[in-house]
Amino acid sequence: MSGAPGSAEGRRELRFDTAPDLRRIYASALVAGRASSGPLPDVLAVRLEVRADADTVADYARVCGFPVRSTLPLTYPHVLAFPLQTAIMSQREFPLALMGSLHVENVITATRPIGLDEAFDLTVHAENLRPHRRGRQVDLVSEATVAGETVWRGVSTYLSRGEDHPDATTSEPPDLQPLQAVAAGPTWRFAEDVGRRYARVSGDWNPIHVHALTARPLGFPTSIAHGMYSYARVVAALGPRIPDAGVTSHVWFRKPLRLPSTVRLRSEFEANRALSLLSSAKADVQHAIIEHRW
Amino acid sequence: MARKTPAPPTRQARRVAVLGGNRIPFARAHGAYARASNQDMLTAAIDGLAARYGLSGQQVGEVVAGAVLKHSRDFNLARESVLGSRLAPTTPAYDIQQACGTGLEAAILVANKIALGQIDSGIAGGADTTSDAPIAVSEDLRKILLAANRAKKPVDKLKALAAVRPQHLAPSIPQNGEPRTGMSMGDHMAVTAEQWGITREAQDELAVASHRNLAAAYDRGFLDDLVTPFLGLARDNNLRPDSSVEALAKLKPVFGTGPNATMTAGNSTPLTDGASTVLLASEEWAKAQHLTPLAWFVDGETAAVDYVHGEEGLLMAPAYAVPRLLARNGLTLQDFDYYEIHEAFASTVLTHLKAWEDEEFCTKRLGLDAPLGAIDRTKLNVNGSSLAAGHPFAATGGRILASLAKQLRQKADETGQPVRGLISICAAGGLGVVAILEA
Repeated sequence: MSGAPGSAEGRRELRFDTAPDLRRIYASALVAGRASSGPLPDVLAVRLEVRADADTVADYARVCGFPVRSTLPLTYPHVLAFPLQTAIMSQREFPLALMGSLHVENVITATRPIGLDEAFDLTVHAENLRPHRRGRQVDLVSEATVAGETVWRGVSTYLSRGEDHPDATTSEPPDLQPLQAVAAGPTWRFAEDVGRRYARVSGDWNPIHVHALTARPLGFPTSIAHGMYSYARVVAALGPRIPDAGVTSHVWFRKPLRLPSTVRLRSEFEANRALSLLSSAKADVQHAIIEHRW
Repeated sequence: MARKTPAPPTRQARRVAVLGGNRIPFARAHGAYARASNQDMLTAAIDGLAARYGLSGQQVGEVVAGAVLKHSRDFNLARESVLGSRLAPTTPAYDIQQACGTGLEAAILVANKIALGQIDSGIAGGADTTSDAPIAVSEDLRKILLAANRAKKPVDKLKALAAVRPQHLAPSIPQNGEPRTGMSMGDHMAVTAEQWGITREAQDELAVASHRNLAAAYDRGFLDDLVTPFLGLARDNNLRPDSSVEALAKLKPVFGTGPNATMTAGNSTPLTDGASTVLLASEEWAKAQHLTPLAWFVDGETAAVDYVHGEEGLLMAPAYAVPRLLARNGLTLQDFDYYEIHEAFASTVLTHLKAWEDEEFCTKRLGLDAPLGAIDRTKLNVNGSSLAAGHPFAATGGRILASLAKQLRQKADETGQPVRGLISICAAGGLGVVAILEA
């Protein structure tokens, strides 16, 4: 990593030649003090000429249920962007604490699939710091570009709980009414070790996902599934019903998914839209609402 | 008096068109596709076919495919691949397995249903991986685990499991051998090759021709609409365009024993991973889809030989299937513009050709009046075959079928004359599958 001098607009660049080690970032975040109260730092995290590792992608595909094929799963660039996100969020002047931040929403827009052996540039910046009913939230925007063309864009919204803002506007998930008539769908058992299995293929060893013993000090009675794992399982299960190109995939994360759990997916398809709900098997707890548009 | 039931209407068999094919490049085992499963590869091959022939979201009459080396997780492989593909999820599918004959037999089954009017279109395919091969527990351990599973009380489960001994833990890896003889296919073929006096030089020459022909086919773009790149591979990576008889002559024999051993790694096919698909349809369906038939699937035949106690060579069944197919269609062995004889080993091809020229074999074994005779060797495997491309068992039939159909179309368009091709594929278990295409 090297801190490049500020650009004309005062933006600071964090350059990475390899993915930053998330375990180290988490370890220092655990002992770090409170987040700053200032504005968002104008920082751009950059990794140039990124190529996914075919074996790691195959491992990821197996864990999440994607086929092994010549293009990256829709959700995979997030795995590569996530360390850059945490690098920004662990900056001293970042106004939200990395540990304890909740991933509440994620929007992926794919212009076209990225080839397994294709090189792309990855940039991440933070924007849109805003109040949330139960604290403050911020968007981490990740972009994969090939020859100047953005082929994949991910907007990850993180919430840091704090002061209530009852009047804050919220992003409302779509109406789930169409799903009421959907009687069946895939049912999955998420075993206790799902967090560790996903951590191994994604590098995200956040202690809340690893084990009940490491999750408890952070306020969770059991370990909880990575949101991006549950979401990837849904995207993989929708598979060929979703186009590869020109698609927007939006997930609203709801209640944390405690491990182990049995979950159920229900989906409803329209000409240019698929609406899905991942809930507990008994349908009494909503874990994620997913909408694809193309 | 019994009431007369009306006779069912006689149905005319319909012509069956081969519309095209798609495969992924074949990869030497434990290389480029080491992480891909049969289902990944078959799905990729189907998706490439769907993209090329506008089948995305369409319901096809039936998908028939198989794999020779199958995991228990490959249950319903063809159907699961369809569900993961861009074809409409309402497309029916089923699995077959006939060793190396799987791909061509799948095409015969699809063609027959189309001919009978039971379906209007279909996809025949196959996939095989020796890299991602199923590994089973030893037979002894399997019995112990099943007994433990049957036990009701935990104490009984423990008792059953107490029978496990270290030697039980050695995994059982699939062997390329015949269950009834314990001999590998190559060692079987070595016996046959020696009986027929097939020389090392002739085998090496055939191998070199295979590499050169396939390399030339790639170079002139012949495979552009037959192959879709997969996992970073754009060409079969077993292909050695610069292969030479001199280089092959240096290799040591790997099958057979003694000074007469002639079969080397150079003139035998390597273990390979890959998948292939072929689109077949009725004329009406092809027309409605604005697709031009490459060739017509005329007829197919399967034969088997009794190889277990050595009365016949393991891979000799096609030598029996071909004359039966010729007789049924009123043809001679010389009535073909192209011959596609699967190169399991160079010696297999040479043995078949020699057998058809042999008076004693043709009269005594085949029951013919005279030998079938020689073929024009310049018409043999003109775009290369398994020695160059590799041979992912169930995927070979689809590779050959699509490639021959395209070659026939090009020749027919060039000459304005009807053309005909013969496919011959040998398989484990003493099986042979053969077929005729016309354009």
